[in-house]
Amino acid sequence: MEYLLNQIVNGISQGAIYALMAIGYSVVVGVTGLITFTHGEVIMIGAFASFYIFQYIGNNLILGIIASFIASWILGMFIYYVCYDRFFEAPSHISLICTIGASMLIRNLAQIYFGPNQKPMLNIIDNKVYRIGVLQVSLMQIVILITVVVLASILAFFINNTRWGIMLRAVSQDKKAAYLMGINVRKTAMIGNCIGCGLAGIAGLLISIYYQTLQATMGGSLGMKAFSSSVLGGLTDTRYSALGGLAIGLIENLGITISTASFRDIFAFGFLITVLIIRPEGFASRKGAKSQ
Amino acid sequence: MLKIQNLSVNYGYIAAVKNISLEVNEGEIVTLIGGNGAGKTTTLMAISGLVPKASGTITFKGVNITKMSPDKIVKMGICHVPEGRRIFPSLTVYENLMAGTIGNPSLKKPQIKQLLEKNYELFPRLRERMKQSGGSLSGGEQQMLAIARGLMMDPDIIMLDEPSLGLAPIIVEEIFDLILKIRNAGKTVLLIEQNASMALSIADRGYVIETGNVVLEGKGRELLANPDVRKAYLGG
Ligand SMILES: Nc1ncnc2c1ncn2[C@@H]1O[C@H](COP(=O)(O)OP(=O)(O)OP(=O)(O)O)[C@@H](O)[C@H]1O
Ligand SMILES: [Mg+2]
Repeated sequence: MEYLLNQIVNGISQGAIYALMAIGYSVVVGVTGLITFTHGEVIMIGAFASFYIFQYIGNNLILGIIASFIASWILGMFIYYVCYDRFFEAPSHISLICTIGASMLIRNLAQIYFGPNQKPMLNIIDNKVYRIGVLQVSLMQIVILITVVVLASILAFFINNTRWGIMLRAVSQDKKAAYLMGINVRKTAMIGNCIGCGLAGIAGLLISIYYQTLQATMGGSLGMKAFSSSVLGGLTDTRYSALGGLAIGLIENLGITISTASFRDIFAFGFLITVLIIRPEGFASRKGAKSQ
Repeated sequence: MLKIQNLSVNYGYIAAVKNISLEVNEGEIVTLIGGNGAGKTTTLMAISGLVPKASGTITFKGVNITKMSPDKIVKMGICHVPEGRRIFPSLTVYENLMAGTIGNPSLKKPQIKQLLEKNYELFPRLRERMKQSGGSLSGGEQQMLAIARGLMMDPDIIMLDEPSLGLAPIIVEEIFDLILKIRNAGKTVLLIEQNASMALSIADRGYVIETGNVVLEGKGRELLANPDVRKAYLGG
């Protein structure tokens, strides 16, 4: 029972990180209208950016977060210009294949420059553990939760309450109509895409602190988890995607209580498949028709 | 004010618009009429820069806008209310209206408020439904929202692509009244309509387009009385 409760705490913390990845994913897909397979690599770059900051500048979490955000923003710009910018009018599989290619390119370059092996992430948060009754919550988990909640709230405010948010949502709903509103659609899509990537980069930092390791190939399964969480949330809805991430984190951590840690991914993707069989549209219920 | 010279547009090997020239003067209501597939919508899309032009020049207030990007064209003061409304379904009515103001960066907060008030007066329905999502409005309400959204950018010219499409006759009359009101408020109107008799009766001038060519042009009343036009578009 105690073990189970603590696995729930672990599941929530890890799920919060997946939620941040998934929020980033749904922003990218929402604003570009195209599926991406580069998200894992964006996450990885975010992790490495903060790794080098911690190594060469010092153990400062805020600095790490900023570095991850900027590095993955820049990678996001690269991906935007290579995979999306010229393909909005083209059939959507063109840019999809392009993102697969870009993801392989980035991953292999990362293996060359960062090395192929696992690296230990510096332990930048105190190893403190708080006990509440039988529950054990580490300081790291609290920091992770706060970071995710703060970032998600900033994003939600930005999207729901500013002119910029209206532009972003207009572009994601109907690009032609957005042009007719005088919105610079390409610039807006680029920035939206980069915001999504920046959040994913920060999630990369958090997950590598959480596991205390990082690796050039880490993006493979993490990208798939971001994608799955987002699919659970109906792909473009940030709130439901976050819920999807949280659910996957929980299922994984509860699943390994009845088996072993190496079965983690089986539970995650098994859950995805089960949900999609029962409810193909994911958690979200569609409001209003989506035009083109 | 708006001058189109020798415009041609192709979709692949289909020539949708062939060498069209037309002109809209300040303060006028000009209408383009013609059957399905004549190239009316394509002409407007070309003006807005949403489809590539095979040839031709478009000038607005003396500025050549032929190669401008669509968002800059809007910012010149050209508003295009597209065929099929294309409001943003998951933005609220209010947010849809605010999206309209992006097209005019010179608007300040108090002016935006005034415009909003004016549009709510013009379309009281929209005020009632301010917080409702655009996609949940009825077809007629969506059409009103699309027009109001266009007016929110306080444009110099407003191009309306079949604003009466699919609306009940009584609402159609309202829409035409509204177009007159918009003109009387000092705007220029370029109107595309299937409802040729109504369009020609409020228009100062009209162009008849067939298979991508201008086949006739003249004063609204003249076209209304023209036997060929009567035969082809007004049912004899
Ligand atoms: N995206 C497109 N791809 C290929 N052909 C197109 C495209 N859009 C329009 N066309 C063709 O161009 C021609 C002109 O179309 P357009 O939409 O301009 O007609 P319209 O005068 O607006 O007709 P309607 O009154 O039915 O709206 C038609 O023959 C149409 O089939
Ligand atoms: Mg048309």
